[in-house]
Amino acid sequence: MTKSMNEKQPAFIEGRRNFLKGTAYSVAGASLAVGVFETIASTPATADNKFTPTPKSLSFYPPLEEWDSFDELDGNDWKRGGTGRNGIKSDDNPDGITATEYMLVPTACSNCEASCGLTAWVDLSTYKAGGRLAVRKYMGNPLHAGSRGRNCAKGYATQSQMYDPDRIPFPLMRAPGSKRGDGKWVRTTWDEAMSKIGKKMHDTLKTGDEISKKSIMYHVGRPNENGFGHRVPHSMGLDGYDSHTNICSAGAREGTIQWTNDDRNSPDWSNAKLIFLQSSHAADAGHYFQQAAGRIADARKKGAKLVVMDPRMSNSAGMADLWVPCWPGTETALYLYLANRILNETGLDGKSLVNHKFVKNWVNWDHLMKDRDYLQLLVDKKYIKSVPEGNSYEEFIDMIAKMYSPYTLDFVSEECRIDKDIIEKLYDMFIDAGARVATYIWRAGPIGHKGGWMIARSAFLPFVLRGAMAGDKGGVGLHHWHVISVNGKGDAATQAGVRPDKVDVWNEIAWPPEYPLSTYEMSHIMPHLLLDDEWRDKWNSKGLKVPEKLAVWIPRMYNPVWINPDGFRWIEALKREDKIEMSFNLSPTWSETNWYCDFILPVGLAGERHDQHSEATQPSRWLSFRQPALRVALEKMGWKPKDPTRATLEAHIKSGLGEVWEEVEFWANMLTHYVDPDGSLGVRKHWASKEDPTRTVTIAEWYQAAFDKLPNLKKTAKAAYPDSKYPNYEMLRDRGTWLEEDNIFKPQERPIKKVGTKYISHGHEYDESQVVKDEFGVLVATDDHGHEKAIGVEIDGELMQGFHTLTKKLDFYCEWFKEWKWPEYAIPIYPTTKEDRVKMTHVVTQVHHDFMQNDNEFALNTVFRLPYNIHTRSVNSKHLMEISQNHNPVWIYTEDAKKLGIKRGDAIKCTISDTVSGLESGYFIAMAVPTEGTMPGVLACSHHAGRWKLKNAVEIPGFEHKLGVMGIGAPLYDMTMDGKIGTLKPVDGGGIDEEMMKRKDSWQFKEYNKDLDNIWWDGLSGSWQNAVAASHPDPIAGNHAWHQKVTIEVAGKDDKIGDIWVNYDNNMKVYQAWRDKLTRPLDETDTLRRPTHIKRPAVPLSAKAYAVKLTK
Amino acid sequence: MINTMKQDIQNRISIYALISRLMLIEVDKEFLDSIEKDENILSLLPNYANWDKRAELSQKDLVEQYLNVDYTNLFLMHLVPYETFYTRDDQMIESGGDNPVLELYNELDFRVELDKARVVSSDHIGVELEFMYMLCTAISKALDAEDIDGVCELMQVQRAFLKEHLLEWTPLFLINAKVESRTPLYHDGAELALEFLLSDFEYLTKQIAEHCKPSDTVE
Repeated sequence: MTKSMNEKQPAFIEGRRNFLKGTAYSVAGASLAVGVFETIASTPATADNKFTPTPKSLSFYPPLEEWDSFDELDGNDWKRGGTGRNGIKSDDNPDGITATEYMLVPTACSNCEASCGLTAWVDLSTYKAGGRLAVRKYMGNPLHAGSRGRNCAKGYATQSQMYDPDRIPFPLMRAPGSKRGDGKWVRTTWDEAMSKIGKKMHDTLKTGDEISKKSIMYHVGRPNENGFGHRVPHSMGLDGYDSHTNICSAGAREGTIQWTNDDRNSPDWSNAKLIFLQSSHAADAGHYFQQAAGRIADARKKGAKLVVMDPRMSNSAGMADLWVPCWPGTETALYLYLANRILNETGLDGKSLVNHKFVKNWVNWDHLMKDRDYLQLLVDKKYIKSVPEGNSYEEFIDMIAKMYSPYTLDFVSEECRIDKDIIEKLYDMFIDAGARVATYIWRAGPIGHKGGWMIARSAFLPFVLRGAMAGDKGGVGLHHWHVISVNGKGDAATQAGVRPDKVDVWNEIAWPPEYPLSTYEMSHIMPHLLLDDEWRDKWNSKGLKVPEKLAVWIPRMYNPVWINPDGFRWIEALKREDKIEMSFNLSPTWSETNWYCDFILPVGLAGERHDQHSEATQPSRWLSFRQPALRVALEKMGWKPKDPTRATLEAHIKSGLGEVWEEVEFWANMLTHYVDPDGSLGVRKHWASKEDPTRTVTIAEWYQAAFDKLPNLKKTAKAAYPDSKYPNYEMLRDRGTWLEEDNIFKPQERPIKKVGTKYISHGHEYDESQVVKDEFGVLVATDDHGHEKAIGVEIDGELMQGFHTLTKKLDFYCEWFKEWKWPEYAIPIYPTTKEDRVKMTHVVTQVHHDFMQNDNEFALNTVFRLPYNIHTRSVNSKHLMEISQNHNPVWIYTEDAKKLGIKRGDAIKCTISDTVSGLESGYFIAMAVPTEGTMPGVLACSHHAGRWKLKNAVEIPGFEHKLGVMGIGAPLYDMTMDGKIGTLKPVDGGGIDEEMMKRKDSWQFKEYNKDLDNIWWDGLSGSWQNAVAASHPDPIAGNHAWHQKVTIEVAGKDDKIGDIWVNYDNNMKVYQAWRDKLTRPLDETDTLRRPTHIKRPAVPLSAKAYAVKLTK
Repeated sequence: MINTMKQDIQNRISIYALISRLMLIEVDKEFLDSIEKDENILSLLPNYANWDKRAELSQKDLVEQYLNVDYTNLFLMHLVPYETFYTRDDQMIESGGDNPVLELYNELDFRVELDKARVVSSDHIGVELEFMYMLCTAISKALDAEDIDGVCELMQVQRAFLKEHLLEWTPLFLINAKVESRTPLYHDGAELALEFLLSDFEYLTKQIAEHCKPSDTVE
């Protein structure tokens, strides 16, 4: 602009030199000044005070010693001119800048699973002046080894969630005489609710038969704690735990279990040379992105490269060194291509690219080469041409080099729809990084697809071949090395003093016989199973006892109606009081699921509850201690609760937060006083206090006992709090986090000690008389009951602990998987022809491009998170809702859109159909955005948006205020459902916008919610696509295969964004087709429900429970 | 001498008011009306005066679609209109009590209302220009009172402020702003401010040399 203007006005500057000599400017000119100066200073310009006018560094945190009382200047008040001018407010200087006294109570975020440290800044000044005790802000916890004082938007949003205007203020009960879903509620008390629920649970358990032990289900959303929830059904003798887990991650878990018998991998991002991300998850928005992203940034600063494989250009892909857009579900082919080249090519130095030292020592090739029958099966399947003559390592390498040679550049480019030069670049980067390649195989591939587990299984192969799976620096380790789980281990504080006995039953509602290898419970088909009489009759006729109903269903911070597929089926089941006799949700927020429950019991958010929480985010073992900040602050100031076992509830009532409780105290009280008040069920002793068995355990007692399991913590606490009765608890109360062990690398190489005649492995002793070494060098111990257990392995003449598998090595060949009916998939493999893709359907995605015949047929990528939303947990944060609005359209590749005449902002109809059953599910209407950020043929629309409510507010008889329902995040809809067809439409005349923006005021937390009249956003952030999607249970891993085949068209004139139409009768048939066409269920040849050596969450079961005998 | 200076000071007041207003907050109807009504001011903004968009668009659209977008780009997002950003080695804005400009304001009993100015520190270009405007109004009063010593003292403060602060950094900022501007108003405004500050420094130097005692000269 400058150039052109100056060309037009060559004399411009010269003319300016006479500014003051021209005509007088008008008086009006002078009045233009804004007037930001006060010319007469009435206060001293400077005043002495202890505050630094400017902090020296931006990473400013008060030192731990000052956390109980820390003065901070008020940022808002500072605008008047700062302390330099005004001094600090005091009796002598009333016009000074306000300084607030805070107590910093450490806690941990609970919005996603990462558990980043937080500090709750509790305002003591206001409280001491007679006001309410409140948290003014949440900041990071600088002591936290994982998060290092940092948080993402969701962490800081804890504040807005805490003082959400629509926070549920007290327990609610479905109004007597109303039906589930009528939206009629009455106020109840915790004691009344516990009394009614406790009686129902007591009466159920009292029966004592097999069915009763399957009739209470504790259904947990993201747990964000380590083991307490498991103990709840366990202590009641129930196989009654249903986690959400399968729906989000079973595919990745299954592939990892087959290699390592570990739940998931755990990379060392910081020291990697190549960060290899499949999906945006680790660095964008998923597990454990805030911490992972920081570590990845550290590595990149040191020169590491970043590769992101994702059909969508995510934030991470956008800043990566290489974006690899791969057709969703075909990633297996790409991984086997890498394996092919590693096995068949040499490096620039002419040497093999395989890390032979690692592979020879730590891969179970010897087991494979010994199993000649299996090698013959590989020949029969045409994976290899002939059985190798010998069984040497060299022959193994030669065999697999040939086996993977068909995965060529041409094949992969066509199968994955990736440009060849991108594939070659990826390979070069992979090789250049040596063994320092870090990855986190989790989403989206392994969870999006039928056979997604094989993506995880194959992904690890090139890592294994390069030695990157050794758990060494900059490579990939394993989850259980890097995590601490003691939240359910407070047994020593209880009257019983020991862990409850193993449970003797197997619950088919959670673990149906079709899915013996499912990694977690099949919770996403719970309503389908409950409503499927034919299925139940079939298994009962074969000798099982499948419950036909649940006496009590207890979702805990879970919203399956909205987040799970086939939402109308969930509603259908919840409405059936003959199928779910009683239900209550332990939920801090309103949710779509709450609407159909009998009780809503408000429990605490991140700063309002106790949890021990740890995650494998780096090669160390840290834990967070989540705490109710207001309670801790009150207790530190000398407050004493009336009942020390209900202190959290009392503190929240005293502070005006509402009748908000927490699970630990709730369950301990519930089980001691309401479910088993007289101890006759054998439950009470597991929750009554050892110190005083007339009452339940206290928080201090429980956590003192639980943290005693951690030797370094225990020792440090004892030294730091020598006079305390509960030093472990007090240390964690004050610090909120603990690093038990750092720099954990290659623990599989830790030696097995032998002291006298005893072998010591993983802290257990085994007498040498019970231990034999098998032909593969595996030490096998046999216990008194004849159970065999691999305890270590000999490597190069040394006894080492080894991996967690039966072979103690990484299982390239998964023998148990072969024995459990899936021999053709017991090694990493993938079909290379269309014909084979039909035969090997179990490892081929339901959205493969084979199924896309027309220009308007697409694979819909649904499984990516939005960085500022967390499934169903963030609808109560005005800040997160504001920044997430209109961020979730349907991404469509520019040329695809052009072909179909779709323009930016158009409403499009997305019709979902199933490629296993051939049935159509219905459609959702959403907004299209053509972009180069998604690959041709693949649409993207996150399933994390599209909340709804059926009423803006509910009236509570006798309570003066209406309770708003998700007022800041969910538009208002009308729903219809007739048992077969369900619809949801925004309410005419403003469901999406006016109704959404109605929330202008709040009767509670007014001070914090003065800005509600600023709600500008509408509900155009997505449609409830989850309800349209049928459940696709993977036949092996048991995950829901999230991605969908969709057909799209420009929406009709009567279609509005947000509309959905669902044939949920068809969806039931889709689930049945996946179950019956694809699974290999238990049969009369089986004696066990599941392999005993792999994890069977979450309740420990006896041999009796595992045993099965089926008739034909 | 006094009469000439009285005319000069009114013009200086007007120009400082204009450029400080332009750089401190977004334009609005009142501000645009003031410019449009005054041929003399308009003559200082020649590209703006000839801008075809003025005729094509309503004032509201002009403000919302062009001028405020440009302001946001120049003063809030991409350029940093604070002295300490240009003068500190670490390029941090000194928003606390250690800001040298703040010390100067304090010495002269001037107080910046940061919340009203909506700036993070008192060395924002708009605030510094308004400070010059404030000193000009003081000179005007001194001239009315025929207090030549006062006038000289204030002019020396102004000259020193220009030399030690405004001219230390605003040329660089204003050249950047001119290059980055996307509307004639901010292009011309940046150029006007730059040229005016340079000429005002020459003017003050000359006036002080001619009318004030040498011992009063502050270097």
